[in-house]
This record gives sequence, structure tokens and C-alpha cells, in this order.
Amino acid sequence: MSRRWLKLLPLAALALASAASTLFDGEPPGRLHPQLSWCPPSWARPFGCGEAGVDLLALVSAAERSALLLAVVVGLVGFTAGTALGAAAALFRGRVERLVERACDLVQSFPTFIMALAVLSAVHTPSRIYIGFVFAVTAWAPFARLSLAQTRSLRTALFVEAASALGRSPTGVFLRHIVPNLLGVAAVQLGSTAAAVVVGEASLAFVGLGPPNGVSLGAVLDQGVSAMLRAPHVLLVGALSVFATSGVLLIAGRVFHLAPTSR
Amino acid sequence: MRPTLRDARRIGRVILSGAGEALVVALALSSFVFAAFRWLPGDPARLVLGDEASAAAVSRLRDRLHLDEPIALQYGRFLRGLVTLDLGDSFRRPGTGAMTEVLSALRPTIELSVLAVVLGASLGVGAALAASGPWIGSTQRNWVDRTFVLAASVPLIALAPVLTWALAARTRLVPLPGDPQAGVEGLLFASALLSIPLGAHVGRVARAALSELGEAAFLAVARAKGAPPARVLLLHALPCVAGPIVTVVASQLGALLGGAVVLERLFERWGLGTLILQAYAARDLPVLEGAVVAAGLLFIAAQVLGTALHAAVDPRVRGGVG
Repeated sequence: MSRRWLKLLPLAALALASAASTLFDGEPPGRLHPQLSWCPPSWARPFGCGEAGVDLLALVSAAERSALLLAVVVGLVGFTAGTALGAAAALFRGRVERLVERACDLVQSFPTFIMALAVLSAVHTPSRIYIGFVFAVTAWAPFARLSLAQTRSLRTALFVEAASALGRSPTGVFLRHIVPNLLGVAAVQLGSTAAAVVVGEASLAFVGLGPPNGVSLGAVLDQGVSAMLRAPHVLLVGALSVFATSGVLLIAGRVFHLAPTSR
Repeated sequence: MRPTLRDARRIGRVILSGAGEALVVALALSSFVFAAFRWLPGDPARLVLGDEASAAAVSRLRDRLHLDEPIALQYGRFLRGLVTLDLGDSFRRPGTGAMTEVLSALRPTIELSVLAVVLGASLGVGAALAASGPWIGSTQRNWVDRTFVLAASVPLIALAPVLTWALAARTRLVPLPGDPQAGVEGLLFASALLSIPLGAHVGRVARAALSELGEAAFLAVARAKGAPPARVLLLHALPCVAGPIVTVVASQLGALLGGAVVLERLFERWGLGTLILQAYAARDLPVLEGAVVAAGLLFIAAQVLGTALHAAVDPRVRGGVG
């Protein structure tokens, strides 16, 4: 049991590290030092500098924090909305159930990235609100599917039948017997949804549809690509931080994967 | 059992029902694009002309884009434009139809994605088959499985620039795909990059499906009749796991298309992604709408094709109720 929670450790470490470096550094992430353009990593600037001498450690930390925040918010919104919708659909049965199932099919067969391009190019400035909105529009579907399937098998389970036979009200049965058995199953999807949001946000910023202030992991990668030969450290810093962020979210999501015996 | 004429009819029926669903998705997607440009805050005409444009210029453009008409009429016009492949002229290049630009950008993207799907699927399936046979020990088999999981979780956006730097910029082992002289080698390199995550997903799913099939009775029968392991795997086991493989390829298509946009930006290679980004930068609304819808349609067409392929390979699907 206790070893399970160790999987949250990398995520916590990354979040703390990015928070700490902004606290101790004190320098705003966008501060430019033109004389230090593309300077390689040194003790004073552990990650080196990027375009126009922006300190990469400060930039990456700030980008890290907003990426994690966005991922967690979108993941939780998708989790809440999707799980509720899926459970409701399975309890109402019949037409509602089929409708939600078809809606999941429809949304899951949408190319999210193309949709994001459409929405972000239609607004005046592609701010994080819109980016989060686009991801949330499709994020609920896998949760709804999982919760629908689980509720469907729970609604005929013997212990649920026993609870209603013993006189519990339908609401009581739902809250005490179905919901607790539902959340763990739907939560399995959280890690991969959050990681997909981080990668999606970085990709959007990389192709030029990032937040207007340029604080994004994708923007670091974009700088790195344009100075690939002159300053390869920028590229490596950007690629490693995208990899690390999506990786720690995937690992943290494994907290909800239970071994078959303990389920 | 070889597919017969009756099977061909069944496959045709699967394609038809798939096409019906695809039509719904295509309609939903294009309506979404239409709505995004009309209902999100900000006037599209202002978006095109910028904040300093005079009121007269804005109203002229609103007139040209038919933005003052009732929304139903605009929607009808938009749908008619899609069906007749005529969304009006490009703003950036007056005289060129928006659809002409979209069609010219479609080919490089299709080349890149199709090649990536072929490479990824054959690499993934090949590696999974090789790891499922009696040729390697269980330790090595576990390592192959772990490699699949790791490779599937490395984001393309992190991997592709680093590999490009290492292989193309630094050591010049491969040409940069954006280089007009790169030719086939450049295309191969780009689609190999794009195929890595897909291949890993395919390999992971194929390995899981094959090991679940494991000691199925019909495989034991085939083996008992003296079929060599390769024949058992290829002819008896592989068609049974075609379903999960096609499903995972279909579920990765969205990511693949997104990856193609990222790679086109990375290599400055011409294609649908480049066109969308250029049209976005130039506020070229007709081209932007057309290109986004075309990308969606490409994706949907690929999914229908996947369903048909599944029906052609797996007798259980084409013989089923569908």
C-alpha cells in the first residue's frame, strides 16, 4: 500500500523543483540579457540561456508549473464530468446510455490536435483558457467510457442487489456502493490524459499557437530547433523537460492501477 | 479460407456503414470548425484585418465573408462550399481558390502519414511476432515488452528534434527532410520519426494480444500437424489479433496527424500542417477553414479504411451480424 504512493514522488519532486527555482531565483522568466544570448550552461545559469539571453532555468520552471497546472485541471475536469456522465448514462439505461456511448465514439474519433488548431486560430490571442477548453472538450470521453462500463457491471452486482433488497434508497445505493467502486476504475485514465495535455500544449506552442507571453515548454523547443547547431543545449533542455513532465504524470497515474489481486 | 465474392459484399457493407458514420463525424467536425470561427469571441473580419482597420474596410470584408447574413444561411453556404470544393478565393493569393491550395498541400501530408503508418505497423507487428516465437528467451521477451512501453511513452515532440539534431544536423547521416534535394531519403527519415510512437503502440498491443492467444487449441492443432512456428504465427495467430492492431492504429491516427503537423513545422516541409500555420499567420480564413476540414476528412477516411481492412483480414468481423 505504502509503496504505491511512491509513484507520486517524481511528480511532487518536479513540481517542487519548479516552484523552488522560481522562489529562489527571483528573476521573472522573461528577463532578457542580450549579451548572454545562447550562452551554454554554467554554475550561475545551470540550464544556459536561450534566445536573447533568456535564462532557461527560470523559463522552464515557469513553463513547467503552468503545464502541470493545466494538465491537472483538465484531467480533473475530464474525470469529474466524464465519470458522472458515464455513471448517469448506465443508471438511466436505454436511450440515454446509447446516446452517451455514441457521443464517446464521436468525440474519441475526433483529431484533438486539429480541433485545437481550429479553435486557437479562430481566437484573437491563443491564451491558456482556450487551450484548456479545447483539451477539456475531448478529455471527458475516455473517463465516461470507463465509468459507463464499470457502472453497467456494478448495477447488476449481487452486493448492489442485496443493498437495495435490505431497503437502501436508490441514492444511498448509488453513493455508498457504486461510486466508491467506480472512482478507482475511472481514475486509471488520469495519468495518460494529463500527460497528453502536457504534450499537446507543448506541440501547439511549438508550431506557434502557444500562450502570448511565450512561457511554454514548446516555445523552449522552438528556440532550440532554430538554434540547433549554435546552441544544442537549448534543444536538449526543452526535449528533456517535455519528456520528464509527461513521464512523471504517467508514473503518477499508475497509482490508480491496482494489482489484480487487490481489486 | 480465401475471401470470396460474398465476403467481398460483406466487406462492402462494412465500408458502407463505416462511411455513414464517417459522414456524421465529418459533418460534426466541419460544423465545429464553422462554429469556432463564428461564435468564439472576436470578429473574424477584425481577426483578418487587425485592430487598426477602418470600419469601412471591416464592413467590406464582413460583406465578402457573408458575416452579416443569418447564421443558418452562412452555414448552408459553408456546407455547399465544402461539397462543391469551392470555399472562395484565398486572401493571401487572390485568384487562387482556397481549395486548390488545400489540395496541393494534401499530397505531401498523405505521403508522410501513409508511409509512417506502413512503417510503424510493419515494424511493430514484426517485432511483436519475432518476440512471440520460440526464438528468444523469456528475459529478452520482457525486455522487448519494456522497450515497447518506454518508446510508446516518449513524446514525439521531444524525440524528433533531438534525433534530427543528432542524425541530420550533427552527423549528417541522413538529409534534412525539409531540404528540396533530400528526396526519398528525407521523406523516409521524416516518416520513420513519425512511425516510432505508432510502432511502439502497435507492438505493445500486438504482443499483449498474441500472448493472450498463447496456447489456444487451434494453434496447438496447427503445431501438432507439423506447421513450423513462423507459419503458425503468421497464418493462424496473426489474423486473430488483426482486430486489436487495426483498432490501435485507428486510435493513434489523431496523434499521427498532429505529429505530421509538428514534423512539417520542424522540417519546414510543405504540407497540410504548414498550410494551416501559414494561413493562420496570414489570417487567410477560407484556406484555414478548408485546410482544417481537409485534415479532419483525411483522418476520417483513414479510419474507414482501417475498418474495411479489419473486415477483410478477420473473418469473424465480415461474417458477423454487420
